[in-house]
Formats: sequence, C-alpha cells, structure tokens
Amino acid sequence: MLDAALSSYGAHVVLAISSDENHPPENIIDGKTETFWISTGMFPQEFIIRFPDNMNISTVSIHSYNIKRLRIEKGTSEDADKFEAVADTEFEQTESSLQANDISVNVSNTTHLRFFILSGYDHFVSVHKVSVQS
Amino acid sequence: MVKLRAKCVVVGDAAVGKSTLCQMFRSDGAVFQKNYTMNVGVELLEKSVSIPDTSDTVEFYIFDSAGREPFADACENMWKQPSVVCVVFDISSEVSFTSSGRWIDRLRSHCDGLHVPGVLVGNKSDLAVRREVDGAEARAWAQTHGLEYHETCAREIGQFEAPFLSLARAFHSLYQDQMQIVQSLV
Repeated sequence: MLDAALSSYGAHVVLAISSDENHPPENIIDGKTETFWISTGMFPQEFIIRFPDNMNISTVSIHSYNIKRLRIEKGTSEDADKFEAVADTEFEQTESSLQANDISVNVSNTTHLRFFILSGYDHFVSVHKVSVQS
Repeated sequence: MVKLRAKCVVVGDAAVGKSTLCQMFRSDGAVFQKNYTMNVGVELLEKSVSIPDTSDTVEFYIFDSAGREPFADACENMWKQPSVVCVVFDISSEVSFTSSGRWIDRLRSHCDGLHVPGVLVGNKSDLAVRREVDGAEARAWAQTHGLEYHETCAREIGQFEAPFLSLARAFHSLYQDQMQIVQSLV
C-alpha cells in the first residue's frame, strides 16, 4: 500500500509533454490533491512515472479533472522505450468535484507507468494525484 | 509563463486562399505565393504567437486542408479534436461563402462536443470591384454560427494575422477559465 506521496518513495515524473510552469508535473506525485499538473492543449497527452525499483501494482488511483479516455501502459524495458497497455478506460464527467477513479492494472515487475490521455471533456485536463497499490 | 498548444484546422472551398493565408501568417509576411498550387492533402504548419499583455504564447499547429473533393474527404481523418477552427471563403465568390455552412458542420462533427473557438475569414478583400459577398451579411451569418468574422487580404501586413490572433486569444481565455474552475475545486 503506497497511498502516501509517490515522490517520497523516490518516484519521478520523467516525461510530461505539456507544462505550465506554475503547475509542474511533480505535483502529480506529491500526494496532495490540492496541487496539480494541467495540460496546455491538444490530445493525446502523456506523462510517465518512474519507480526506483521494480514494482508490483494491482491498482492505480487517480484524481483528475475532465479526463475522458485514459490508457495506462507499463514499461517493459529499463530505459522506458517499450510499453504495453494494461488498462484502457473512460471516466465519467464530474462538475463540482474532481474525478476519483481506481483502475485495476495487475502489473508485475515494472519500473515505469505511462499515462496516455486520449480525450477530455474540455481542451485542458488536470491530474492532481496518482497513487498505486501493490 | 504558459505555452499553450492549439490544433487549428483550416478549411474552405478550393482556391479561396487558405494556403496563402496560412503561409503568410507562418512566415510573418515573407512568403506570398503568387502562383496557385492546389493542396491535395493536409499541410502542417507551425507558428507561435504571443498573447498581448501576458507572457503567454500559443503555439499553433495549422492543418491547412485541401478544399477540392475528393481530396477534402481524404483529409477529414486529420481533423480530429481541433482546438480552434478557421473557415475561409473568397469575398468575390458567392458559392464559396455558401459552402461555409457545410464546412463548419463537417468540422463540428469532429469536436467531440467541446466548445471550439472559430473564425470565418472573408479573404481577397482587395478584390472589392468583384465583391459578391456583402460584409455585413457574412458577419451576421458568422455570428449566428458562433464564429468571429474577419475580412482579410492575405497579402496585407496587419490583416492575415488578425484571425489567428483572435483564435489565440479565445483559446487562451478558455485556458484561464478552466484554470479558475480547477482551482476552485481544490
């Protein structure tokens, strides 16, 4: 159970294709829903989280806003160049609260998770917190 | 400082001046194509504009799409999820203006229900003597379709930028609105 900030376990966001300098991608893994990363236009959007060790992950929890379709992929090589889809899901739209979703992934032995945001309920989507359970 | 990215799909009948408008904007007026070459696919151009009174920029990915069938049909799968749209007609061609409705309907079907800012551009405004489309009529039509109207002469500095700048502003203000909503939730 790693519900605390992923960053305190040595995880990093190693890639995020868009960024507002006031809302950096590190906000995704700081354990807080108050801070967030927001996309700055166009789909798809992606970010990659790297873990310090090989991980077994059963569930990914994600707090977000306006994400419609999300695909999660696990890294199958050390240098994060090969990925394999482990979940493809569509979130419900929320208006007055963040989207909170648990996604079952059942991944063993991976060091990277790639999040692919394929569409949104708005041009801009935000990700507030990602945590994982093993 | 924020750098936004916007996919801008440009459509309209063949030979209304879409490519010239896009090329002039991309090159800050350095490239005015004197000879007509028909676009049979989608030409992708990239250009950044600064939003006045901010330190923010919008980076446009302009999809300059063929106007002539059947090429336009083949281009349609490139129109998915546009951030902003631009419909161009030629003020000296009533037919090209009439087509605008069809173009905007086709574009809207790729917008996934999102609010997508758009402009209607009446191009070739220097051809005043051959004008077939009344400016006021075009403006009124644009308004009823939720588009901002611009008349341009693609060769005049100060004109070809205007539609893109207005799209950039509209997209930037959507970003600010969304940011406010997100911040109110946390």
